[in-house]
Amino acid sequence: MAIVSVYIEEGCITCDACEETLPEVFHVTDDTCFIKADVRLDGGYDRNEAKAGLKPETISQFQDDILDAADGCPVDVIIVVEGGEVEATVEEDVPAVVEVVPESAEEETVEVVGDDLAQLLTAGDRSLAILFGSQSGNSEALAAKFAKQASDYGLEGKVYDMDGFDFASLSSMKRVLIVCSTWGEGEMPDNAEDLWQVAKNASPGSLNGVHYSVLALGDTSYELFCESGKDWDEQLEKLGATRLVERVDCDVDYESMAAAWAVDSLAAMAAVDGTGVFHEEMVQAIKEYVAGGDEGADGEDGFTVPDISGESIQAEISIFRYHPVSSTTGSDTWVCAMPGHLSLLEALRAIKSTHDGSLSFRDGTSDDSTTAICVNGRLVLPGLVRLDSVAPIRDGTLRLRIDPLPGFEVIRDLVVDHWSMERRRESTKPWMVAATRGGASTMQGDIGLMEPNVATALHSITDFGSSALLQASSDAVPHANGYLGPAVLASVWARRNDPRTSTSSVNGLDEILASSNGIKAETDLASIRRQNGSGLVVSEALLDAKTHVLERDAFNGRHGKHVWWYTWTLKSSGKVNDTVLYRQVLGPIGLLGNLTSGVTARMMTGFSRTGGDMITDMLAFIAPPAGIGKMPRQFNSSVDNHHEVVAIFNELDGRF
Amino acid sequence: MAIKYAYHPGNVSHSSSPEVAVTMESFARAMGITLVPLPGATSCGAGIVRQANRRLQLTLNARTFAMAEVEGLNILTPCAATAGNLQEDLKALQSDQILLQEVNETLQNTCGLTMTGEVEVHHILHAIVDEIGLDKLEEKVKNPIDFTIAGYYGPNIQQEGACGGDDVYDPNYLEQVITTLGGTPVSWEARTQSVGVPGLFGEESTVMKQAAEALSEAKSEGADLIVSACNLSQAVLDIYQGKAGRNTGLSTNIPVIHLCEMLSFALGCHNKRLALLRTRIAVIGD
Repeated sequence: MAIVSVYIEEGCITCDACEETLPEVFHVTDDTCFIKADVRLDGGYDRNEAKAGLKPETISQFQDDILDAADGCPVDVIIVVEGGEVEATVEEDVPAVVEVVPESAEEETVEVVGDDLAQLLTAGDRSLAILFGSQSGNSEALAAKFAKQASDYGLEGKVYDMDGFDFASLSSMKRVLIVCSTWGEGEMPDNAEDLWQVAKNASPGSLNGVHYSVLALGDTSYELFCESGKDWDEQLEKLGATRLVERVDCDVDYESMAAAWAVDSLAAMAAVDGTGVFHEEMVQAIKEYVAGGDEGADGEDGFTVPDISGESIQAEISIFRYHPVSSTTGSDTWVCAMPGHLSLLEALRAIKSTHDGSLSFRDGTSDDSTTAICVNGRLVLPGLVRLDSVAPIRDGTLRLRIDPLPGFEVIRDLVVDHWSMERRRESTKPWMVAATRGGASTMQGDIGLMEPNVATALHSITDFGSSALLQASSDAVPHANGYLGPAVLASVWARRNDPRTSTSSVNGLDEILASSNGIKAETDLASIRRQNGSGLVVSEALLDAKTHVLERDAFNGRHGKHVWWYTWTLKSSGKVNDTVLYRQVLGPIGLLGNLTSGVTARMMTGFSRTGGDMITDMLAFIAPPAGIGKMPRQFNSSVDNHHEVVAIFNELDGRF
Repeated sequence: MAIKYAYHPGNVSHSSSPEVAVTMESFARAMGITLVPLPGATSCGAGIVRQANRRLQLTLNARTFAMAEVEGLNILTPCAATAGNLQEDLKALQSDQILLQEVNETLQNTCGLTMTGEVEVHHILHAIVDEIGLDKLEEKVKNPIDFTIAGYYGPNIQQEGACGGDDVYDPNYLEQVITTLGGTPVSWEARTQSVGVPGLFGEESTVMKQAAEALSEAKSEGADLIVSACNLSQAVLDIYQGKAGRNTGLSTNIPVIHLCEMLSFALGCHNKRLALLRTRIAVIGD
């Protein structure tokens, strides 16, 4: 049987054996082998997966050599198509084995009506011919790239080497892109010269119905810049083809211009329907469709920049003012309109530059931890929050009350002194005192080891963006003299749990945690927990630290007794018993103090506020102390099924 | 209106704040809210039990959730500390299936109960604004509370996911309720700050300063009284305000009532108590 075609399957190892056997037909590239264009009926230059036929003269001249090349292929990827097999496959999926273009127009009479984008991009003939004229390979590479991109536009891109391309076949193509470089002084590249000579002599009107665009590559240092591309552009127009996108002339840095041209050209080519009608009104829609359109949010594709601009906001901004010389405090309020996308830091800068140059605040980069301020009770780094999200807008106005960080001494306006926190940190000796420990020998030397989960936990405790911000999140810090604060204690707790820390250092850190300025001085972790993401993690860690300290001290001291007896009363009845707490935690002296300070009196006269019976309350003075007014009861009634509560205690904590 | 909740009165409404339990029930009756008691529910732990044993507080609250699930009802409480602590533990159980399984094993062994986590915890403030509606509340007002009022939230319900549709940092539900009842809300900073209740016995001097600052700020902003959304904070701000004032030298004498009292008074319940409150505001001061 006679050979009709040859093609290359996937898996070529580029050993050059075929090209050495028959260089007239096979050309081994960097990663596969191509069937040369001038031996093929379709003029294509690729692996010939479409099984396009070989020219009769090639077959008659090289039939035996082709078979030898196929036999000699070490990985058997050269597939020779012989006559009988061709006929067998024609009816299945290889319609163009012998007869090449033009394909039957009758099969492609789908005309797009209206604005059905999906139909336009899928119906009928969607072929796109990309011809390259290349001397150094740049045009060829671009052509290959554009062919890949074409599928995004619903096109079936096919790359053709101008060398050996049958000019006559061009007339049946609806979409053609030319990528051509210029060689020397305005000359065609070698592979384009023959085709150019044919084209130059072709009859006007021979390319009617062809839509095209030209990308010209060149070098501005030459007098005739992109001359070949210009020649193709003019000649195709003369021959009756329709230019859809203006030619782009690229200098040696061609990538960005070529990419932009491809976007325009591929969209325009995609707007040519199966009957060859150009739908100009669909070009923009195609571009948006390919760019992502409404399919996803801006920026999700990694290429488009999301729109972050915000609408103008009517703002009423009150800022705390303090003048250190006159020792005067107060607040100034500005009513203004500002873009919602401004960061709070930018808003402060704007007020300072346009309204009041004396306004003082810490400026810096957007994530500068020292810039922290308080806005409507929320602690923020002002460079990281937008004006339109820092607080709710009510009645059409954003009302902001900006204060300096609580718990710090104010230097001027919003500027606070962080020194007090640093002194507290300093008092904890914040350096590592490492234990001598075993490690692992590596090529880089001996290194210590830490379990990954331990390392992660330790890191999370100290991974707060701003020490000042975390320190200010505690509502106890401004009132508890000497209290080290959450930022300092979080670091101490992390160091105390670091397996590298020496035993003596751990003991020292335990002493710091258990001291009167340590974790027991924090009156309510809820205030830390609510501030931000790191506040949640840190409050959990500080809860662990508090439990550790209380257990270490065997629940002694007022703090320990409070926790112990609160929990104990819960086991006793399921309810907290305040009377037991007062008696056990405060002791006789404490109770006496309450008596003299008026606390007990306010409890016993609680009838004046609770609406209770005065006579009953008066009895409290005769038969003290509990269950009257706002005095807690001596004994609680138990909750239903109290034994279940006891059982839970017994199962989980036998200490109570 | 047929609104039904499993009712958790909070930690101290059975002892030092009986007025909260009384007014909550009268308010609910006036609004047509059915409160189904959970007679077996324990204290929420107030964040104190977990200082001794975190799993213990979690399991006790899981038992409360299981009981509410048996009723098929969401939990309603007038106490911000209870709402915050229950929500914190509920979130922990909902987000960790292994933890939930372990806690359920303990519950099953000790109580014969298990929980799924398909229960919600609401503070009365958020229930009013988000579920009942301020318009419904306004319709029921008989005695406008025409005072200048400082609303106190505390930090426990001002947590992400625990404050209904309100803003975590810049809330205004309480101010909306005050306005609806005929009052004038004041703007003050301490409204979401802690007054240090969990540290009352251990760090009393600090707590007195925290309480004094809140009380004096409310006064300096022109408030006639403070309305607290938290039982524990209300108890401390009320009972300890004299001591806090003496310790700090700040002016702290101002009536402090619970949100439920204000709601109940406005709806025409306990008129004598409202009269007493008016007298305290007008004559006595605190």
